[in-house]
Amino acid sequence: MRISLNEIKKLVPAASKVETDELIKLIGSRLVEVEEKIDLSKKYDKSYIVKVISAEAIPETHLHLCQIETKDGPVQVVCGAPNVRAGMFAVWLAPGAIVPQTFGEENFKLDVRKLRGYESNGMLAGLDELDLGDDHSGIVEIDPHQKYADGSREIKSGDSFAEVFGLNDIILDIENKSLTHRPDTFGLIGFAREVAGILGVKFENNFSLDEKIATGSGINIKIEDSALCPRYSCAMIEMKDALTDDKYLTFMDIFLAKAGMKGISKIVDATNYLMLMTGQPLHAFDYDKFVSVGGNSKPEIVVRAAKDGEELQLLDNKVIKCNTSDVLITSNNIPVALAGAMGGKNTEIDASTSRVILESATFSLYNLRKTQMAHGIFSEAITRFTKGQPAAQTLPVLNMAIKMLGGNVIEIADKYPEPVKPSVVDVSVLAINSLLGTEYDLPTIKATLENVGFEVEVARDNNPAINLRVTAPLWRTDIHIKEDVIEEVGRLLGYDNISIDYPERPFIGAKEDALLELKSKLRNILSDKLDAHELLTYSFVSKKLQEDVGEDPRDSYEIVNSISPELQCFRQSITPSLLEKMRDNLKAGYQNFALYEINQVTKKSYKLDEDKVPMLYTHLAFVTTGDFYEMKANLIALLNELGFKDLEFHQYDGHFPYMEPVRSATTQTPHVCCGEIKSSVLKRFKINQPISAFEISLDNLIKELPEAAAKMPALSRFPSVERDITLKVATDTAFAKIEAAIAKSFVVYGNDNSLIGELIINIKPVSIYKAEENAATKNVSFHLDFASKKKTLENTEISAIMEEVEKNVKQAVGAEIV
Amino acid sequence: MSKIEEIKGKIKALNAEYAKIKTIAPEERKAFGIELNKKREALQKELQEALDAEESGSVTPIDITAPAAENAQIPEIKKGSKHPLMTELERVLDIYSHMGFNIMEAQQLDDEFHMFESLNFPEGHPARDGYDTFRTAEGYIPPAHTSTMQHRALKRYKKDLENGGKIAVVIPGRVFRNEDVDATHEHTFYQCEGIFVSEGTTFGQMLGVLKNFFETYYGQNLNIKTQPGYFPFTEPSIELLIEKPKSLGGKGDGWLEMLGCGMIHPNVLKMAGIDPTKYKGFAWGGGIDRLVMLKYGLTDVRYFESGKLDFLKEF
Repeated sequence: MRISLNEIKKLVPAASKVETDELIKLIGSRLVEVEEKIDLSKKYDKSYIVKVISAEAIPETHLHLCQIETKDGPVQVVCGAPNVRAGMFAVWLAPGAIVPQTFGEENFKLDVRKLRGYESNGMLAGLDELDLGDDHSGIVEIDPHQKYADGSREIKSGDSFAEVFGLNDIILDIENKSLTHRPDTFGLIGFAREVAGILGVKFENNFSLDEKIATGSGINIKIEDSALCPRYSCAMIEMKDALTDDKYLTFMDIFLAKAGMKGISKIVDATNYLMLMTGQPLHAFDYDKFVSVGGNSKPEIVVRAAKDGEELQLLDNKVIKCNTSDVLITSNNIPVALAGAMGGKNTEIDASTSRVILESATFSLYNLRKTQMAHGIFSEAITRFTKGQPAAQTLPVLNMAIKMLGGNVIEIADKYPEPVKPSVVDVSVLAINSLLGTEYDLPTIKATLENVGFEVEVARDNNPAINLRVTAPLWRTDIHIKEDVIEEVGRLLGYDNISIDYPERPFIGAKEDALLELKSKLRNILSDKLDAHELLTYSFVSKKLQEDVGEDPRDSYEIVNSISPELQCFRQSITPSLLEKMRDNLKAGYQNFALYEINQVTKKSYKLDEDKVPMLYTHLAFVTTGDFYEMKANLIALLNELGFKDLEFHQYDGHFPYMEPVRSATTQTPHVCCGEIKSSVLKRFKINQPISAFEISLDNLIKELPEAAAKMPALSRFPSVERDITLKVATDTAFAKIEAAIAKSFVVYGNDNSLIGELIINIKPVSIYKAEENAATKNVSFHLDFASKKKTLENTEISAIMEEVEKNVKQAVGAEIV
Repeated sequence: MSKIEEIKGKIKALNAEYAKIKTIAPEERKAFGIELNKKREALQKELQEALDAEESGSVTPIDITAPAAENAQIPEIKKGSKHPLMTELERVLDIYSHMGFNIMEAQQLDDEFHMFESLNFPEGHPARDGYDTFRTAEGYIPPAHTSTMQHRALKRYKKDLENGGKIAVVIPGRVFRNEDVDATHEHTFYQCEGIFVSEGTTFGQMLGVLKNFFETYYGQNLNIKTQPGYFPFTEPSIELLIEKPKSLGGKGDGWLEMLGCGMIHPNVLKMAGIDPTKYKGFAWGGGIDRLVMLKYGLTDVRYFESGKLDFLKEF
């Protein structure tokens, strides 16, 4: 929305006394964000109103050689417009001026240059070049008796264009979104009222909702459902010149252009003007067409919900199919307009129009919002209607339109089934100050509210807790509860004037969230100790990805309005997303690396939570280049850091379809699925090297997390013994069995009462060697490191231990010492 | 004679000079001593340098600008990385946690009730349009803001309030908007929500808490300013701006829009079973992505979810 500061200053004289930047700052901090400040005086710098002294056709061209009268005497300009002629007043952009149409973009600067051999100084401008409209058919013509914007005097040749037309102005580009609840501010009057309030002065304006307007019964209005159309007012006016447009540039053209609209015709300009001033959109029908469509002798206006599939050709020639949320204006039930959005072709005003019906109504913002979405109509009018224009002003604005248009009024009609009563809210000085944390006194509060049209009735008692009865003006559709009034006081007096404070709280530590704590710990281990890279990938994946990894897309919650097929299904696990990134980074030249992500997953087959919302689980997925053992080393390191010891790897339980069952495993405490990615899956990703992964549910992990009792590592003050042994075993012997057999050997001595005492042992695998692919045996080597807590081990004792090892491995797995 | 021995000789000779001190007039003795000490210090320094040079002479010098010695393998340091968004989020939560806020994570699928109804959005209200929500076939909504969690947080901690305490919770989460991705727009991003409810909560306290958060976060005193805003779930509602911090190149002139906040709407409290005539609260919500982008001067938000190691390994 664009707001002219000059217009605001006209409506609020006090605004002229405030520095422009200060005024903008105040509007920004107390009403709405100002996105941009556009200085028109720069845009129209070096543009002048000039009299064309002579205009001679240049032979064999469409050009005219013109002499114009400037402040510094006659100047020559070549002009290509067909309407240039001696004696007319035009707008001259002098050399050095930037063509306003290009201002702020390419900033095209005019110069003295030669055209067909004739020197041309700047240019005579058309409406489009002045950025005041689209017309390019000729140059703008100025009324020779045009007065200055302030009405002071008539123009003379050479006067500044900007000064005459009030273009030395600042336009504010306003962020509409935060005014969604304030339909009144979508009109200049409403906006200005706020500015007055901000400046602490009472807003005074002639526009009143109280004026008595006589209505008749010559036009029948029937509203089928007052929820769809709370009020419908209209007037029948005799008007033969509805479509005329001024020959000369007018203040109206300028006014509309400042708001980003264009001058079109007398009637359209008037309705647009009033909409910009009051926020109330108006629409005009051709009276005779309206009556004839309905087949009656006089208008029968019926406002009703559309039927499904009902058709209507709109003014832009498009034929729309309505749905039941649309509201239609009908003539005796034949649709003539899509309410709030656009008029119908069948009642369009044309050159033969002699009477019009001018409509001023208000509709359900909810229905119009659906209309807007369904038919893609985003006009200035519907933007206002979808904020919920107050019903109170339809008739008063209609009355303003009648006065402006000056035609002969035949009839005014008004249907207002359930007149809206003003909102009355009880609040107190205490309530205001205790919510805001302020110390505003009663007179300040009262004046602040009254400045913008509230009525404040004060109980006689001077007690601050005593009631203030606040009556909201009828245009304030957003005031319902005391907090709404408190907001007004806080905002108009300036939130920035509220002194900051801190809540009191007892010195009780905030509760730590176990899951967040775990996540933080995992990130520290994975990134800092295991050198993995943390990723974030989208929560939505494609069906194709799910199919590629063997997940069932039908078990995923599917987004019905997704941006692309790539982002359609809520993911069931995170590993597939990481595989995609694995591929991308391998392609980018990275070789040995690991990726991980911690994020939420779910699927339809999981149950809903207590709020009947899908249960979401937080997963950690870790994907690395390399085989199972590469991943396993990382997993063990990670789990050890978390305090899990003695992990047992069991046969894979098949939880994730993309892990290769014979090269994957499952651990029990905690439950982790880990393994190599199936080669068929990798092929689909065009990855031709082994990739391994594990994925853990943190919600489960957290339940299994060992008590974080810090344990002193087992150490002995006696020297330790180191022995290397290599065992020859059958190829299919499980490593875990060999290891267990060795460990068991030490248990024999492992008690405090024994002669040797408790042993501290460290069994470290050194190598697993197989001579050839099909060999029946393999050699497994260990480095053993052990010490007694009680004494220095003697050679005989060491020998006895090693013999025990030999005996045990032979017994358990048939191993021979090599 | 080597240089070292030559210097040693000189030191010896100098030491002999000290004996002369007795022959000098008492008033000149001090000056004489200082002079000798100076000379000896200089000689000792010279000696040390000569000794160092002799040692280095027997060692092969290296090219300190090379990554490795000739014929040696270039050492490779393997280094993991943490996602900057998660790191920043941890820092944000840390500060709020120190201020006494509990933490509760947001969920990535929610429903219409938590997204709109519980937040006082009337059904069919145009304000719902502002959020461009995704929807699943079942009508679930990947939340478009972390405010979705307000209702749950209010309910969960209501007991604390009734026991004479306060509700103080921050809620981080991943949120989603149905919009096309470009350098400044992502359909997936992170927010942090906060709520505080007690008997005496004021608007001024909200300004204080949030100002203090940013001052802690940026490690300096900051001016703040406000802009009226509109959210159906707070009343009054504002946008909070902070002065551009020095660490981001601020010179006390620019402003940064950091978050939306306001006093919790009585209807929102009521819906969670909290008596709005007794308790008042404030709530806020702001983006995490923006904090990170500002901090590192990132101009393209798409890096965050790109999974590109070229980008991530720098963090």
